[in-house]
Amino acid sequence: MPDLIIDGRAVSVPKGTMVIEAAERLGIMIPRFCWHKALGAAGACRMCAVMFTAGPVKGLEMSCMTPAADGMVVETFHPEAVAFRRSIIELLMVNHPHDCPVCDEGGHCLLQDETISGGHSLRRFPGRKRTYLDQNLGPFIQHEMNRCIHCYRCARFYQEYCGYRDFGPMQNANRVYFGRFDDGALENPFAGNLADLCPTGTLTDKPARFVSRRWDCLRAPSVCLHCSLGCNVTALSRYRRVARIEARENAAVNGSFICDRGRFSAGYEAIPERPRSARLDGNAVPAIEAETALAARLAALAEKHGPGSIAILGGLRSTMETQAAGIALAQAAGWRAPAFFATRTEQAATQAALAVLTPPRARSLAEIGKADAVLVLGVSPLFDAPMLALALRQASRAGAKIIVADPRPVALPLPFTHLPVPPRQFPAVLAVATGSPDAAAAAAQKRLPFAPELWPGLETAAKALAAAKRPALVFTPGLAAALPDDDRLGLFPVLAQASSAGAALLAPTDAPGLDELAADVAAGRVKGLVVVEADLFAAAPGLAAVLGKLDLLVVLDYLPTPTVAAAHIVLPTTTIFESGGILAASDGRLQAASPVQSPGDPVARDGAGSHPPRAFDRPLPGTDPAPAAFLLDRLARGLGLTLPREPLAALAAAIPALAGLDLAALPQDGLRPAFAGLAAPLPAPLPLSAESGLAVIYTDALFATDEPGRYAPLAQAQTQAGPPVLLLHADDAAALGLADGLADGLAVSLECGNRLVPATLHLSRAMARGVIVVPRVPDLAGLPPILGPCGLRRR
Amino acid sequence: MADKKQGVVGAFLDGAAGLAGSYAATMTHLFRKPVTEQYPEYKRPLPARTRGRIVLTRSPDGKERCVACYLCSGACPVNCISMQSEVGPDGRRQAAWFRINFARCIYCGLCEEACPTLALQLTPEFAFCKDDIADFVYEKEQLLVEHGGKHPDYDFYAHAGVAAGGPKGSHIGEDDPVDVKSILP
Amino acid sequence: MDMLLGVVVMLVKMAVVLGVALGLAAYMILLERKLLGRFQVRYGPNRVGYFGLLQPLADGLKMLLKEDIIPDGVDRRIFLVAPAVVAGTALAAFAVVPFGDGLTLFGHRVPQVVVDSNVGLLLVLALSSLAVYGLALGAWTSDNKYSLLGGIRGAAQMISYELALGLSLVPVVMHARSLSLSDIVAAQAGLPFALLEPVAFVIFIIGSLAETKRVPFDLPEAENELQAGFHTEYSGMRFALFFVGEYVNMVLLGAVTAIFFLGGWHGPFLPPIVWLALKVLAVPVFLIWTRASLPRLRYDQLMALGWKVLIPLALLNILVTGALLAAGV
Repeated sequence: MPDLIIDGRAVSVPKGTMVIEAAERLGIMIPRFCWHKALGAAGACRMCAVMFTAGPVKGLEMSCMTPAADGMVVETFHPEAVAFRRSIIELLMVNHPHDCPVCDEGGHCLLQDETISGGHSLRRFPGRKRTYLDQNLGPFIQHEMNRCIHCYRCARFYQEYCGYRDFGPMQNANRVYFGRFDDGALENPFAGNLADLCPTGTLTDKPARFVSRRWDCLRAPSVCLHCSLGCNVTALSRYRRVARIEARENAAVNGSFICDRGRFSAGYEAIPERPRSARLDGNAVPAIEAETALAARLAALAEKHGPGSIAILGGLRSTMETQAAGIALAQAAGWRAPAFFATRTEQAATQAALAVLTPPRARSLAEIGKADAVLVLGVSPLFDAPMLALALRQASRAGAKIIVADPRPVALPLPFTHLPVPPRQFPAVLAVATGSPDAAAAAAQKRLPFAPELWPGLETAAKALAAAKRPALVFTPGLAAALPDDDRLGLFPVLAQASSAGAALLAPTDAPGLDELAADVAAGRVKGLVVVEADLFAAAPGLAAVLGKLDLLVVLDYLPTPTVAAAHIVLPTTTIFESGGILAASDGRLQAASPVQSPGDPVARDGAGSHPPRAFDRPLPGTDPAPAAFLLDRLARGLGLTLPREPLAALAAAIPALAGLDLAALPQDGLRPAFAGLAAPLPAPLPLSAESGLAVIYTDALFATDEPGRYAPLAQAQTQAGPPVLLLHADDAAALGLADGLADGLAVSLECGNRLVPATLHLSRAMARGVIVVPRVPDLAGLPPILGPCGLRRR
Repeated sequence: MADKKQGVVGAFLDGAAGLAGSYAATMTHLFRKPVTEQYPEYKRPLPARTRGRIVLTRSPDGKERCVACYLCSGACPVNCISMQSEVGPDGRRQAAWFRINFARCIYCGLCEEACPTLALQLTPEFAFCKDDIADFVYEKEQLLVEHGGKHPDYDFYAHAGVAAGGPKGSHIGEDDPVDVKSILP
Repeated sequence: MDMLLGVVVMLVKMAVVLGVALGLAAYMILLERKLLGRFQVRYGPNRVGYFGLLQPLADGLKMLLKEDIIPDGVDRRIFLVAPAVVAGTALAAFAVVPFGDGLTLFGHRVPQVVVDSNVGLLLVLALSSLAVYGLALGAWTSDNKYSLLGGIRGAAQMISYELALGLSLVPVVMHARSLSLSDIVAAQAGLPFALLEPVAFVIFIIGSLAETKRVPFDLPEAENELQAGFHTEYSGMRFALFFVGEYVNMVLLGAVTAIFFLGGWHGPFLPPIVWLALKVLAVPVFLIWTRASLPRLRYDQLMALGWKVLIPLALLNILVTGALLAAGV
């Protein structure tokens, strides 16, 4: 633990800490451009020079390149250091253009800050300015190379941290250029971070270009809703529209970065189609009228068929407050226990996946990045949970072996072993890789023989996990029962949606699955359905098909889903940007999001694209949406019931893992409850399915397959038009007679329910046999788990 | 006076002289020409830098100078300026809409100081009355003028170095763009 | 028939006097504003009509159209009546002011005065004392601390200077041996009393300045201390009544000064009515000039001047006059 003195204050830091970081611990911000907490030092900008007056190092040195050592005395404001930094900023500014007014970085520009704080105001250099031609780097990043000061942050992040090669430095000396060899979209799904990282306006956020200055934005800490990891973000809102999303530092979850899905999938809160007023039988009515009618109809329904004929259905993209209010209302009114998951099995699996996260075994995302061997089971990191790929990349950079067992073709920016096995073989893979008793492996092999080409990979996995000091397992909920009981192996589940963990934590054990509800509705046992922030057409096509049998369908939602269109009564709710709330990440970590804007029509829409109307005496349009928890509470009052004042707190007090946590004051990094482990062993979750037919595997894309993201204009724009693309192993295709000629890109039809959906079939050899990979789009929701022999046919 | 003890007569004479003095002073004023300037008939020529109504000027090529950089609205102490920037048809950054609420403006001139493109300028026009306070909200069309105001020759885009103002390397004081694919020195 | 004619003549005279007094008061306001403007090297009102001649009309119209605000907490009856008392007493005093020797119309001798009372002087003094009620009551009932202070100041000031004023007129009566204003004018056919009794004249002018509450004795309404003092709470036409009362008082003061000290309508060359007009106007002009020239007195200075200087001086003056008259000089 070196002890040193910086600006007269003593600090003790771990060995290997650089002086710049030690100063940061004291709250002293040494000017810097190239150094970044996540990227380390490059020594490229020379901006962080400080004076070492005594100790092992003497004189003017770069604080980012000098490890802290015992006895160092550092002066950051030594006149010599100040003069040095001033001349460095002047040199950096020699070629910097005179374009701050039209630069989007202006207002939160590190170069601007350092130029002004360095006192440089007049260019003394009489020569000409160096210029570069810019490139089109795709839809997310704007390139303006003249502004570059060559700190190499972008290249280090892009190539070293993320492992992508299509963007980087070129040329030499005074002509160094950061870009691609040719124009084109950046391949890196984390490229949006370049806008945050770049200390100048060279790389800026293209969708937010010219939208606003930073100082005009309302800012609030928020949590990403677009996968289950719960990355921390900062939402910036202007004129009642989320102007941009930025990464928010959380050392335990996402570090300093977020993926492009999380960054560019906002915007659903401002679309014109968003339900903004209550609707009663298709007509827009004042909220109070809809609420009164709703209470009356529900009361009549309960009177006629009994309270058990009403069911409430919670979504997996709601805050825990909303989920808890739904549960509390169902319990108070005696309705069917709220349904969240597709099946009871899925619910039990998700609950088990959280329960196994006992303190010695639970790993955070950051800890996955520090593991030395990681087995990923049933997750395609880049698409199911993009930031997981970045964590794996960090582990891999440090020498970890990464093994991914997934039926889909998997791409990762790191060396890894892919085991293309169908889901039914995951337990066997787990058993083999974790060196469980040979008998189990042998039995598994007997019943479900692995393809011979998989054995080398399995052997690598087994060896790597056996040799590792900090092995980790990333798994999907279904595997919770099969996990070996070994505290050495860290666990990190990846769940289906952002609030899956919250629903699993809160849902009562007797909660029905959506499939049960569908059966009840079809049989006429359920007459009224209250849907809270869920799209039945995507989550439960079986239920959506029988909606016509309902006497009353009530939908509370903020997205214009088909379910909203089918509802008898619609109550508009607020998004997380307008109400905030608590979300549970996939590892059970509870994190709070704050509201950033008021609900209401975005100013641009209110003003019909131009400026808003001049009248100041009218109420804000489109402010009917209210937090769903609030609406449910009002509904309870309308029914003459009293919900607890804080349904979430009341519910949490009865849940062992959450009891005693102060949900009103969650720490900045979030709070991971201490789970107690599985109460009782689960039955084997995945039945061994018949060999005939293709197992349907749904897969996410980077954009617009998550529910809010599907309604985000920018994310939607990233999806390709045309029929959905199916993936099939070439051997299976040959067996089905689909591998002839132009098999790649073959036009096929997929039988989905009673419809035939046109699709394009692509073939691959980097995937499991016996499966068909289907994109998670509403059109294709509701495929049977096993596609029959006639399910896929040539078009 | 204070050092000498005055008698009653002295005090009386002193007071009378004082009274007479002030009466005389006002009487002489009566015959002077009044200094009042009769405003609507005679308008005093105001200095060019008088802080009156705000205008948005144009660069010498006739294009809008305002790049909607939000600096004026950021500097405004009474928040009377609001705008939205956008990419214009010529690729330039410009204001999609720009409004100044003159009913709220205090004519402090901080916006003019903040304006980096010399677009926003205060003019000596100070007398513009309205019947309705909402009419004091001026939109971009009402603010734009057809000239360069106090700085007729300045063109921000000739200096800025961004492609919207002309090809890279064509701006004042710029080198030709670096050819990143050449290894010639 | 005679009686009917008498009534008609009386009505005509009253109308003429009222018209002249009110018209003069209105234009006195304009005159004051113009003169003050010029004293201060400004123009004064010059926008309404030529040289601002329609300004009084515009002002009157404005006052008429303004809202008549009656604040909460006032005693309504007194509050409404007080301005009328001020203006009414000032106008009533004109009843005894003669405008000339008399005219012969259609063979009838018509005196140029509404009422040629043989106690005219006392009547003038009495009416000017009554005005203080309007002021003090209006101030007190306004339920406003500034008004109350202004009202108290006004009452104290008027009572104090009433004494000096009354005493300064005693020598005039001693010379004229009559309380009738016509007789007093007649007594000055030779020498105006201003020259005969300069001390009384000065005391009278000072006293009447205080009676009209004008600079340098405008303590009751001192704007910068009391927010317009006794009429702070008045607006619209009621405020205008106070205002008119003040200016009618100025004209009245001009008239009585002309009659008591400046020889009334007596003068060489010019017709008597012109002489009277000149003398009547000279006094308000002097008051305006004073307003432009002198600062306001402090309250203690005001009281000291009244009680310690003017009253003893007036008493002394009576003694001296009496002694001189007794000696037959």
